[in-house]
Formats: sequence, C-alpha cells, structure tokens
Amino acid sequence: MFEVSFLFGQFLGGLTTAMFLFLIASGLSLVFGVMRVLNFAHGSFFMIGAYLAWQAVQWLAPALHSFWLAALAAALGVALLGGLIERLLLRHIYGREELYQLLLTYALVLILGDAAKIIWGTQQLSVSRPPMLAGGFQVLGATLPTYNLFIMLTGVAIAVAGWFVLTRSPAGRMVRAAALDREMLGALGANVGALYTGMFVASSFLAGLSGALVTPIQSIVPGMDVEVIVEAFIVVVIGGLGSFWGTFWGSVIYGQVLSFGILILPGFSLFSVFALMAVILIVRPWGLFGRPLR
Amino acid sequence: MKMQRLLLGIFAASLVPAAAAAADTIKIGYPMPLSGPASVYGVPVVKGAEMAVSEINASGGVLGRKLELLTRDSKASADEAVRLARELIIKDNVDFLVGTLTSAEAPAVSTIAKENKIVFIAPTSKTVQLTSPANLHPYIFRLASNTDIDGRTGAAIIAGWKDVKRVATIAPDYAYGRDAVTAFVDYIKKARPDIEIVDQQWPKLGQSDFTPFINAQMAKKPDAVFCDVYGGDFVTFAKQAGPLGYFKAINNRMADSGEVGATDEALALGNDYPYGIWSDAYDPVIWPENEPAAHKAFIERLKAYTKEKYASGWAIMGYASIFALTEGIKKAGSTNSDKVAKALLGLSFDTPIGKLTFNEKTHETDMGEFWGQMVKDDRYPFAVMKNPKYLSQGPYTN
Repeated sequence: MFEVSFLFGQFLGGLTTAMFLFLIASGLSLVFGVMRVLNFAHGSFFMIGAYLAWQAVQWLAPALHSFWLAALAAALGVALLGGLIERLLLRHIYGREELYQLLLTYALVLILGDAAKIIWGTQQLSVSRPPMLAGGFQVLGATLPTYNLFIMLTGVAIAVAGWFVLTRSPAGRMVRAAALDREMLGALGANVGALYTGMFVASSFLAGLSGALVTPIQSIVPGMDVEVIVEAFIVVVIGGLGSFWGTFWGSVIYGQVLSFGILILPGFSLFSVFALMAVILIVRPWGLFGRPLR
Repeated sequence: MKMQRLLLGIFAASLVPAAAAAADTIKIGYPMPLSGPASVYGVPVVKGAEMAVSEINASGGVLGRKLELLTRDSKASADEAVRLARELIIKDNVDFLVGTLTSAEAPAVSTIAKENKIVFIAPTSKTVQLTSPANLHPYIFRLASNTDIDGRTGAAIIAGWKDVKRVATIAPDYAYGRDAVTAFVDYIKKARPDIEIVDQQWPKLGQSDFTPFINAQMAKKPDAVFCDVYGGDFVTFAKQAGPLGYFKAINNRMADSGEVGATDEALALGNDYPYGIWSDAYDPVIWPENEPAAHKAFIERLKAYTKEKYASGWAIMGYASIFALTEGIKKAGSTNSDKVAKALLGLSFDTPIGKLTFNEKTHETDMGEFWGQMVKDDRYPFAVMKNPKYLSQGPYTN
C-alpha cells in the first residue's frame, strides 16, 4: 500500500523532528534531573537564541561562515543570560516549594517574551540555510535535505557527549552525586553552588544553540517559546523526568509517532502524540526510563 | 471683587475646552492581538487604523469631533477579547467597537456588541459563522471576504490549470482552514469534475515541523495543491518543503489562499520563497506594473507613518475599518449606534484599493481578493506578485 521509499522518507522526517526536540529537551531534562527545577523559561531561552542568531546574521551577513559564527554567538549569549538568571534569581528559591520555582520561571517566560517583542518587534523573521548545507540527497529513494542530516548528527553527538560527561568524567560524578544528595555533597567540601551555576549555563547553552539551529527551517515569531516548551515537556515526560537517555528515546518515539500517526489518522495529527503521553502516564507515571520518585 | 470675578472667569474658561474636548471625541474601542504569534498581523492592522485616525483628525474629524482610538491587546483569545470589549463599553464608554483579528475572537465579541446594541466592525475575521443567518444581528459588520470566497477563488485558479487531475490540500486544523478547504473542494468538484482530491493534510496552527505532512502528501503524487497555511507557519512550511523537492514535484502548481502574497511572508522568506506559486493578498503592497495612484500614495504615507522600509499587506484592513465606520457616522449624522448600523447597510466607501460596499443582507463588504503568481523581481530582494488580479466576489458568492 505504501512504497518503501516513502516509508523511509517518513522515518527520516520523524528522526529529524526527534533530534530537534532532543536538542531542546536535553537541557530541560538535565536541569530537572540534577537541580530538580522545572524550568518553564527553557522555551524562552530557545526563542532568545533564535532572535540572537538572526541579529548576528544581520550584522555578519556577507562574511563566510556567518551562520556558524552567529549560532555560536547566540548559544554563548543565552548561556550568559542563563548564568545571570541562576546567580541572581533561581539561587534564592532552591530550598523552597516547587510552586515558587514555577512562579519564578513562568514570570521569566512573560518578561523574556515581552523583551523580545520590544527589541525585535512582531514581524516574522527567518535565516537562510548556510550555503554548504543548502542541498539534499537521495537515500533509498527518499530525499534527505543536508541540513536535516546535520541536525540528526548534532543530536546524536550531543547525546553521546552528554552521556560521556555524565558517566565518565569527574565533573559528571559530581553532578550525579548532586542529583542524589545535594547536602551531603556540600558537606564533603564540593562547591555545589558553582556546580549548579555550571549546569544551568550548560542547559541554557543547549537551549540557545537549538534556537539558533532552528532558524534556517522555521520562522522566528513571537510565541515560539510557548509552542516549543509544550513539545519539550511531552518528550521529557515520555522518556522519564530527569533521565538523559530517556529524553533521547522519548524524542525518537515522539518523532516516529507523529510521522506515522498522520498516516493512520490524517485528520488528527496531534491526537497520536497526546494519546501516547496519556498511555505512558497511566502505565508508567515515571516515564519509560525514569525511576519512581521516592 | 473684580479680581475675583476675573479669576473665576479664567478658571471657567480654562475648564470649558477641556470638558468639551473630552465629550467631543468619538471613542472607538479596538481590541487586537498585540502579543503572541497573531501579533505579526495585529500590530500592522492597528498601525493602519492609527494612521487613518490621525489623517481624519488632521482634516477636522467627523461631524466636527475628533476620533479617539482605544487599542487593547486581545492576545488572540476569545475570552480576553470579550473581557476587553465589556471593559471598553462599561468603563471607557466607547461609542463603537472595531477590531479583533481571528475567527475565534470576532464571533465572541459580536455577541457582546449585540447585547449592548453597539456597532462592531470586524476587519479580518474570515469564518462564515460570524455573519451566518443564525448569528447575524443589526450591529455586526465585516470587511474581509469570508472563507467561502478564499476557497472558491483558490479553486478558480486551480481549475484554470487544464492538465491538472490530482489535487491535494493542506491547511491549518481549525475553523479557518477547515472552512476554506470545504469551500475549495465543493467548488472545484463542480468546476472540474475530472479532478480528484488525492490527499488532505491538517497540520496544527503553529506547527513547528511540517516534514511528515510534506512527505505524506508527496507520496500521493498530486499535480497541484490548494494550501491555506499562512503567516509564520507558511514561512516554516516553505523552508522545509523546498529542500524535500515538494514544490518541484508539483511544478510550483500551488494556490495559497492564506494571504501569503503580501510583503510580510515574502520579506521573511527572501530567496527561500517558492517562486512560481500563486497566492492572494488583501493588498499586494508592491505592485510592479499598473499600480493605482491611490494605492501608491497610501503605501508612501504608510511607510512614512510606520518608518518601515516595506509596508505590511495587513495595514489596509485597519485603515479601511476606520473609514468604513466614519463614513457610516457621516451618513447617519450621529454617533448613535442604531442610526449608524442602519447607515452602514448598503453604504459605499473609498479605500486605497477601490470602492467597497456593505451588503444589506449579509452585512459583509464586497471585498474580493488580489491573486497573482509570485515571481522573482530584480528590483526587490524578495518575491513579488506579478500583475495582481482582483477577483471580485461576484461569481463566487452563494
């Protein structure tokens, strides 16, 4: 009934969706896993990254590799913003109830959304693909745009790098220790404050980077922050809150369910994804790769 | 004593103009999305309305009174628009309501207008529900053509492509997209019984990844596509569809009735615009050949007013909405809503894109759509509409 090339194309499409979501959701998952902070403003960091990348491209435009420089600048800019927010605001509410975190990070969503509107206006903006990734090629009869392949490879690279840092490096050992027992780690003489700031900066860097990398294939508009945070949350919930690999496989499942769901129920593109989340929440409330909360 | 009287006189005199001015302005409540994704269009519509108000006030106002625009952010939400409409009527004592952008807000505000017997003009809402017989009341008026006209004019464009046999549709999954596609399918089946609808895709509004929808549609091998994806979504869609070879596969045979033929989307997409497709626009803004003088003058004033290099195709709707109302007030010789509502029936008024007339039965204007092929023009760094053709509503109404 369907040709193989088409099914493969659909699979590749789902994989692109998945790796994009993973780039965004990985930072969200990291901060929750270690710091137990549900950062609603993560989508806003993503949006600021997109706007900063656009701005940098305008300034650098004719230069060679301007897109790559702009993406790096945007990611660093958002990382700096994240660091400031952690030091000046988030730091004060770690010991408090989760409700305060939600209020604070939600307030940041509103503030950053309005700030972006004041600085960049309400027109839709977009950035052209970098020339070296503008084309596409055929795989088993399906067309794969080069840029999509680049996104997939970036997603896998970040997953592997994240896994390596978390499980194989001294810093990763500290991070895992902080996730288990923050006070004990502090009592043993580790600088937990600096560790948290570092985590939040890394998470913001990932948000900013994904925002910048999305600009060649998406319009930059007010409201993209809220749109993306909902999808990132679905992915994190499917994979298990706080589980890094869970977020990776959650993204892959989300992408494929969306891709093939519209073949089965063409009129209900969103239904399949939300149905999946509902089923997982009922069967395994802690997600596919998460652990039940004590 | 004399001094006292003099002071009193000065005091009284100083009061009069202030009081008179306050009582004298004609207040127009203008709820419009100014934040969130819909602000892309809400903001230019409001700028058009503001420019109309400043022009009318500069030439002495209406019935000797100045206009006052009370703009509010409806956030594109029906609930918020209703709350604002109530507040504008009760607290700010507005004389009229104009505004709302989407097909969600306008029908909701319409019920408030009916309750309070106050004239409400919706500039851009397109859903047929707004003025359907069940929802029509004396105070509601609409400027834009409805979803029936969108779908049918798109169908007329595609019906003209004689070798097309397999047609697909893609449109956002809510009232606006669903209604337009229904109208398209009904019309094309009558106009071209030989055409088969081979695929229908329904991405959500604000979809960030269209790839699965694009692949699925290409697999059905359509010869042409009717598209109703608009705004930022269209920018995203076009950027993802291009590298997948979508537009090449259909030979750029696409008709998009989502107003993506204006500068707004063309500017955002630059050279990523799928040159060769057909689209409509409220106002093509850039009109390479045979531009009407009134339109040229309007765009020049608009660019000066907004200080933008290229004007938006949506400003015309805000601009015309204010002129529709003021012509109604002039004809009624009063700001009484009952009188103005009667005056608006059958009223004709001038706009930079030609004369519009309110239909006495439907309360809608006879506004059509500008259609044309989107082409590369060396004078501009983005796509422009080649020979914009005005498709009047005439042949496409019920």
